[in-house]
Amino acid sequence: MEEFPEELRTPPVTLLSMVGCPEHHNLISTHFLSEHPPINTLALPDLSKIYLFSRKKKDSDSTAMFPPPGILKRDWLIKHRTKVPAVLAALFPAHHVFGDPAQWLQVCTDLDSIKTVIRARNIKLAVLILQLNGQDEINEDRMIALRKRAEVDSKFVVLLNPNDTLELKESLRRLANTFSELASTYYRDQGRAIKLRIEKKSVNSVELVVRYCFKVAVYAEFRSDWAEALKFYEEAYHTLREIAGVSTKLSAVQRLVEIKTIAEQLHFKISTLLLLSGKVIEAVTWFRQHKNAYRKLVGAPEVIFLHWEWMSRQFLVFAELLETSLKSTQSFSPVHLGSSAKLLSVWECYPAYYYQLAAHNLSEKRSALELTVSMSETYDAVDSNAQSVVPSVYVGQFARLIEQGDNVDMLPISDEEYTRYAVSEGRRFQDSFEIIALLRKAYESYSSLKILRMSSLCGFQMAKEYFSEGDISNAKQNFDSITSLYRKEGWVTLLWDALGYLRECSRKTGSIKDFVEYSLEMAALPVSSGTGVQRDTGPAGPASLLQKEIIQKEVFTLVSEASGFISDEHPSNLKITGDKPLHLEVDLVSPLRLVLLASVAFHEQTIKPGASTLITVSLLSHLPLTVEIDQLEIQFNQSDCNFLIANAQKPQSLEVSAVQQRRIETAPSLLLASNKWLRLTYAIQSDKSGKLECLSVIAKIGSHFTICCRAESPASLDSLPLWTSENCIETVPIKDPILALSGQKSSQVEEADPQVDLHLDASGPALVGEIFLVPVTVISKGHDIYSGEMKINLVDVKGGGLFSPKESEPFSMAHHVQLIGISGPEGENESQLDSDYIKQVQQSFGLISVPFLKNGDRWSCKLEIQWHRPKPIMLYVSLSYNPYADESTAQKVHVHKQLEIEGHTAIVLNHHFLVPFRRNPLLLSWNKQSSDSDPSESLPLNEKNVLIVGAKNYDGVENTCSIQHGNEELPELNLLVPGEECKKVFCVTPNMNISRINLGTVCLRWRRDMGVQEQSVSSATLPWVVTKEKLPDRNVEVPPLIVSLECPPYAILGDPFTFYVKILNQTRFLQEVKYSLADSQSFVLSGSHNDTIYVLPKSEHILSYKLVPLSSGMQQMPRFSMTSVRYSALLQPPNSSSSVFVFPSKPHFKTDGSTNNRVDSIAS
Amino acid sequence: MIVCVAVVGHQNNPLYIQSFTEADDALKLHHIVHCSLDVVDERVNNPKKSGPMLNETFLGLLYPTDNYKVYGYLTNTKVKFILVTTDLDVRDADVRNFFRKFHTAYVDAVSNPFHVPGKKITSRIFAERVSTIVKSFGLNSAG
Repeated sequence: MEEFPEELRTPPVTLLSMVGCPEHHNLISTHFLSEHPPINTLALPDLSKIYLFSRKKKDSDSTAMFPPPGILKRDWLIKHRTKVPAVLAALFPAHHVFGDPAQWLQVCTDLDSIKTVIRARNIKLAVLILQLNGQDEINEDRMIALRKRAEVDSKFVVLLNPNDTLELKESLRRLANTFSELASTYYRDQGRAIKLRIEKKSVNSVELVVRYCFKVAVYAEFRSDWAEALKFYEEAYHTLREIAGVSTKLSAVQRLVEIKTIAEQLHFKISTLLLLSGKVIEAVTWFRQHKNAYRKLVGAPEVIFLHWEWMSRQFLVFAELLETSLKSTQSFSPVHLGSSAKLLSVWECYPAYYYQLAAHNLSEKRSALELTVSMSETYDAVDSNAQSVVPSVYVGQFARLIEQGDNVDMLPISDEEYTRYAVSEGRRFQDSFEIIALLRKAYESYSSLKILRMSSLCGFQMAKEYFSEGDISNAKQNFDSITSLYRKEGWVTLLWDALGYLRECSRKTGSIKDFVEYSLEMAALPVSSGTGVQRDTGPAGPASLLQKEIIQKEVFTLVSEASGFISDEHPSNLKITGDKPLHLEVDLVSPLRLVLLASVAFHEQTIKPGASTLITVSLLSHLPLTVEIDQLEIQFNQSDCNFLIANAQKPQSLEVSAVQQRRIETAPSLLLASNKWLRLTYAIQSDKSGKLECLSVIAKIGSHFTICCRAESPASLDSLPLWTSENCIETVPIKDPILALSGQKSSQVEEADPQVDLHLDASGPALVGEIFLVPVTVISKGHDIYSGEMKINLVDVKGGGLFSPKESEPFSMAHHVQLIGISGPEGENESQLDSDYIKQVQQSFGLISVPFLKNGDRWSCKLEIQWHRPKPIMLYVSLSYNPYADESTAQKVHVHKQLEIEGHTAIVLNHHFLVPFRRNPLLLSWNKQSSDSDPSESLPLNEKNVLIVGAKNYDGVENTCSIQHGNEELPELNLLVPGEECKKVFCVTPNMNISRINLGTVCLRWRRDMGVQEQSVSSATLPWVVTKEKLPDRNVEVPPLIVSLECPPYAILGDPFTFYVKILNQTRFLQEVKYSLADSQSFVLSGSHNDTIYVLPKSEHILSYKLVPLSSGMQQMPRFSMTSVRYSALLQPPNSSSSVFVFPSKPHFKTDGSTNNRVDSIAS
Repeated sequence: MIVCVAVVGHQNNPLYIQSFTEADDALKLHHIVHCSLDVVDERVNNPKKSGPMLNETFLGLLYPTDNYKVYGYLTNTKVKFILVTTDLDVRDADVRNFFRKFHTAYVDAVSNPFHVPGKKITSRIFAERVSTIVKSFGLNSAG
């Protein structure tokens, strides 16, 4: 866009001129410039300068010439923008106007002279009266006189007080409005006058129509009437097309140049206006018409380059306009586009598209210019005449400047002269730089829009341009950036071309590595002769098999004859020496995978250490010619396994490698034919356990050239990117179909078999609460044990976990089964152990180090495990050790053992309460509840209660437990066999009148009975286990009545005895009691069967009966029952308390029986 | 006159590309075909822009250059056909007709049991058929 003059590029701005009172000009002009729209001001200090506006005389008869010498005058527009104002503002101080008559006369004179000047140009006049001090009074008569004298409307005589700071801004704004109104009147009048000329058809020259249309459009632009401006610009443009069609002038070359220049300017204006109003589609369509209309107007053959240059400029300018427009609007609406884009492509709205075409046209121009120059030798001579050719008065015309003394004259030039001038001008420019700049713009623009292929094409063209310019580094960079896309999408012909350039670049820079890489990649490309690209080639040459072979030969000559011999074709900077050996890396994404692909497969997934297995190395190359490899090196992650494969036909390679302490295999030949796998199978063994992986295969060709190829597994072998779509036979790296599908480049070396026994000896189920010992024994059977380490793990068999954080137990109890500790073998205590000894015990995990053991030694320890819940667990013990003293190299050997251990509850505690024999307190709470409810909920106060605690060995069948009560009074040991229950009796007498008492806890200390043979051991080592059970709380009640039954301990058949029923009233009230005594078949009874009696407070009533037993044995005595009327409570002693044993005859007791004792103790 | 036809696969890789020109611009035609894939991508990825084109195999004019017109066609299996012609006023119907014939030829070629999908089309019969179709292109529009 910079080619266009400033006045064309920016919209025209109204011009205003001021005269008089120069001290205020600055204030007004600054304000007007900031107005919207702005107004430019042309300040004339005094009246004497006003002649500048007077019209020159010769203008008047220019129309007479036919045809006019040019279409547009070069300076017309700038004249109207900077020299000819629309409005002239005459400034007068107020005291001159309204002051004394002398000054008024002067004002009138000035006005007259102004009027005469401006009338010729129809410039509008406005009068500005400056009220410099507030005292100036306004004289209405003078005002009218002034208006008359100036011949202006009243609103164009404006008063302004520059000192009134408050009002100044507002008045200036009003002033600007007034002036712009006046100015637009001026421009409208001017435009209308010219329009009239067109409409009258009085104009007899088409050139003038174009000129007038242009002027009308410019005047419309002055008024910001964009629609009219557009209309007349288009009119001018179309009229110009007519001229272009019927050009009759002799100097056709210059004529065409002029027309094109004006068309270009008109087009520029039209495009700008269209884009400013947001009509992108219209602008694009317009541009396409413009381009198509002028594309054929090539002109004379020797100046074709001017046409291309012009075309290129059209594209460039439109691209710039479009870019600016898109940037400023930011509202590129594709939907809107789609609706009317039936003919349009989206591409035509991208500036990048135009940049690209501009570059294309410019390169056409360059070649046309070169052709012109080469055809005519005369252009070579420096044409001194061309120096004096300058642009003439008319747009698009050139003339010769002739200086004759002070006079400067312009003479028209002939076409031949012009052509010479144009050629010499054209040769001054470096088109390549311009082309590169345009392509770069297109490239960046496309890239930002993610239009990759177009941007690649631009990059490619740019790189080619750089290449031909000799800017190798830039060329290489650009080629490199585009090749990846071509590789990815498999466009072999394009890739071939780009690589050909890259190869030449690296040849020129002497980069041997790049040269070899590019050459090898090219040679390995799947180029078939059918691609059709045969002649149109860059430095790559035709894409054919033959060319591939040539390239490969060249490279291999270079690398294999590196020892000094350099053929003449190669520049000296391309050579490989011993100092700088060439090493190529081929990884999984490298394009050189085509050149060499290494697939490695172990024949077995796992190997024993020291055992040998087979490994197959398969190599594939797509190079067209067979490659002979001198030596192959296979590298593993265990560097001890690395080995070399030497080519038997190349003995010198053996000598080189013999120096190294490596395993060397010899292959009869290492010939790598095109697209055929070279398969080599060798044995391999490793002593180290762990993963054995093949890392890379290094092929050595010649003495200084190596290709390091990353090893790939056949199972995960990716197909070669560019060859996948080729119609060649798919081959597999290994013949064995299973290995071809599943072969891996790595294998697992197992660890050595352990020669150590690990024993876990647990004796049956464990009991909850006790510390259960699990002896662990390590016996070495062939291996020494160095730095042994034993790990212990407890795992729930059912998988529920041994830890239950939910339960509200103390933390230590949260583990159902817990590893308490590990005790070492006897006679070994902690102080003797060295610092390496590790012992770490957690809840379910333990770690202990095992001391050094010689072959045949044994070592043992005991695991102490405590169960908190009856739960089966799985105990895992694993031992890891080094069989050799050298820790750094040897691998650890592992032994694992596991054991399931059941956990059982050892002792179940139970208890119950009894009241004393034949003494029945009336507890009111018993009666309140239903008769079946547990009578032991409450205990009578001050009465002796009996508590019986039982402990039952619940634990299976096999073990007996010895139990010791935690009662000091009972120190004796009891031995409980399984299923047996041990009972103890306690007396509980509540003597505090509190409602609820805590009865305390039963503590049972017990331990496992290990049997006779281990008695001594177990008693010494086994600790007592304490099982605790809390007794439930009880209520305490005061019984109001107590019924005691008294009778002898036994009776004799037929012998009468007395049976007392004592009713004790413990209250302070008189108690009415109804009682009854039921008959019994076994006894004859004397006494009242039922009655109501009154028992006095705090006293005892005794009922006595005589009974005669009628039958022997355990007999039920008559049953007594009573009802307390006050409490309406029934008391009936239990059957057991009212039975007695009847002997048939009087017994004779010789010794004290245990039964007697027992009865006594209970009775007491 | 048709100067180039191409079949482009799923990875935008060329499966078949043949130019029918005596001039040395085969490489340039390859570039044009390659670049036109950008437009195909855009049409396929932004179906809104080309609203009515949805579900139609014929993609229309892809890419305007000074001397060529590039048309595209997308099969149901997402294989692209590209046509480059030097005729500047071409009727859409002719191009559609061409693509329909071309598609038939393509289907016949890939239906060959010895053809592996995704591989380049090297069938000589296909090439002959294509060149016949290309030759008949101009004649049809005339007649």
